[in-house]
Amino acid sequence: MRLDRIWIVARKDMSEFRTNKYIMYSLVLMPLLMALVLPLIYLTPFTMFAEPSDPFEIDFEEAGIMIGKDVQGGSYNNITFVNCTLVDVVAVNCHFEGCELSNSLVRTSVLANTTLRDGAIMRSNVLNVTFENAVASDVRTLGEDGEQEVFLKQFINFLLLFFVLIPAILPTVIASYTFVGEKLNRSLEPLLATPTTDAELLAGKSLSIFLPTMLVTWLSFIPFVLLVNFLSAPVIGYAPLPDATWLIGVFLLAPLFCIMAIALNVVVSSRVTDVRAAQQLGSLVVLPVVILFAVSLSGLFALGPLTMLLLTAAVALVDLGIMSLTLKTFRREEILVRWK
Amino acid sequence: MIETHGLTRRFGDTIAVDSLDLKIRDGEVFGFIGPNGAGKTTTVRMLCCLIAPTAGTAYVHGLDITRPEEALMIRGKIGLLPEVPGLYETLSAYRNLDFYAQMYDVPKGVRAERIESLLKTLSMWDRRDDPVGKFSKGMKQKIAIARALVHEPDYLFLDEPTSGLDPEASLTVRNYLLDLKKEGRTIFINTHNLDEATRLCDRVGVMKTGLLAVGTPDELADMFWGHTTVVRLRRAVPGMAEVLRSLPGVTGVRQEGDAFLVEVTSPDDTNPLIVRALVEQGGEVLSMGELKRGLEDVYLRLLGGKR
Repeated sequence: MRLDRIWIVARKDMSEFRTNKYIMYSLVLMPLLMALVLPLIYLTPFTMFAEPSDPFEIDFEEAGIMIGKDVQGGSYNNITFVNCTLVDVVAVNCHFEGCELSNSLVRTSVLANTTLRDGAIMRSNVLNVTFENAVASDVRTLGEDGEQEVFLKQFINFLLLFFVLIPAILPTVIASYTFVGEKLNRSLEPLLATPTTDAELLAGKSLSIFLPTMLVTWLSFIPFVLLVNFLSAPVIGYAPLPDATWLIGVFLLAPLFCIMAIALNVVVSSRVTDVRAAQQLGSLVVLPVVILFAVSLSGLFALGPLTMLLLTAAVALVDLGIMSLTLKTFRREEILVRWK
Repeated sequence: MIETHGLTRRFGDTIAVDSLDLKIRDGEVFGFIGPNGAGKTTTVRMLCCLIAPTAGTAYVHGLDITRPEEALMIRGKIGLLPEVPGLYETLSAYRNLDFYAQMYDVPKGVRAERIESLLKTLSMWDRRDDPVGKFSKGMKQKIAIARALVHEPDYLFLDEPTSGLDPEASLTVRNYLLDLKKEGRTIFINTHNLDEATRLCDRVGVMKTGLLAVGTPDELADMFWGHTTVVRLRRAVPGMAEVLRSLPGVTGVRQEGDAFLVEVTSPDDTNPLIVRALVEQGGEVLSMGELKRGLEDVYLRLLGGKR
């Protein structure tokens, strides 16, 4: 394959896209909607109403330490208890490690590996604490996300799936205009009469769809990351993006979905004579991505780097199959004799 | 040279081109005439290596159209004007030509110069930056012709070059093709326009799935009718037809009013005898000439028409 020839075809097609308002609208509006508008709409309420989930700052100045003692009644400030049993105590600004507390009141303290029975705890940081009939109010769990953090992370994952969806949708719009457009305009015949191989022509035309699609996808990913971090960091306590899972998703899986969409749309375009019909049939390519959405939201599997890599490998395999079908479809003979 | 040997193409059970044997010399303008569906476009597509023959083969510039690597070389040597111009409507005339010049590997330094020359020759230079979609059918056809010539091909295939054009645009295109003919390019024209074929083509092939006849327009006419002398008299009298029939070299006589259509084997030998015989019968000869049979007569005769 001659790369210069592929590039000539791609450049010509891209200069045609610039004059097609439908393609330009899609290239600009869809990423804008998915990268900026939707995150703004959905994440802003979290920022406005969610309470910060950072651990409380507890002003602790150790005044004493008790290890392995049974403590009955009393009020304690700035004491560290290790492996103690405490009954009927009031503890403020204390640290508990491996303790058992019964009928006690704990405030602005830190508790780890501790059991709390029939008492109350307020405005404290806890780690691996068992509550048995105890009342807890305003407790921050250390080392694990709260409900709103979990939900927010899931929601960010949901928004990130758009970056796999965009490369699947945009080729449908562009390919329907290029392949079906060229077919209707009968401009493929003189092109096929040039000293170029079928594979070079197909590669050039596919590249002209792939480049703008991935360019807008990746370009819109940058403001998306900044916006999501800006909106969610105060809630989660750290900037969640970019993470390894979605770096694989956006930079490996998304281009493969884009290739799949282009290849399928070439096959679809060979069978239809109407741009809208091509778009409708071609849009079926988003089905695998939508299934991915659904499965991800249902929580059937967690989207981690390994899952994403496995998914990427699976899509790569499917791509190889579809591309060989496309190569069979995009042949001079087929185009002139069988393309309807 | 273009040569075909038993070139055949079937589409399912339908035979589009049947065992075509043809030779077109370098620098010749060859016309294909025939009804719709006669296989003309299919033949051109096979010769341009766009579709493969079912049987037989063809050589363009000595290269075999059935060999993929040679097909690529053939495509570099030919220019094709398809039935529909098929231009990129949103791109300018110049950009259309520039794209094809690149596809045909026209060197960068030569490209601009050649495009300018073609557009000026076809009176389209002033519209070079306009989108092709705004052009009339004739203007688009001119750009499509320029596209077929942008790489200065040795062989030019034109499928219905003046189809659907108004008389003025047809004339411009035809005159340009005559100029190309003078340059010595090998040109293959598919046309329904018999007058155009007569004016432009050195030889014509009448096609209907297979090649029915091939030759110069005159040769084709001679093939069916020989020579016919037309004599117009002031007044024809009874008995003249019989006298003419009795003359040596006369193969047939038909009377139309005061005129006689005399079929002769050799006009040079027989025409003086005809004049003398008619004068002796008291006839006054007003005019005498040879009846020219046109390509239309040949076409209709071959394809089952009345003439």
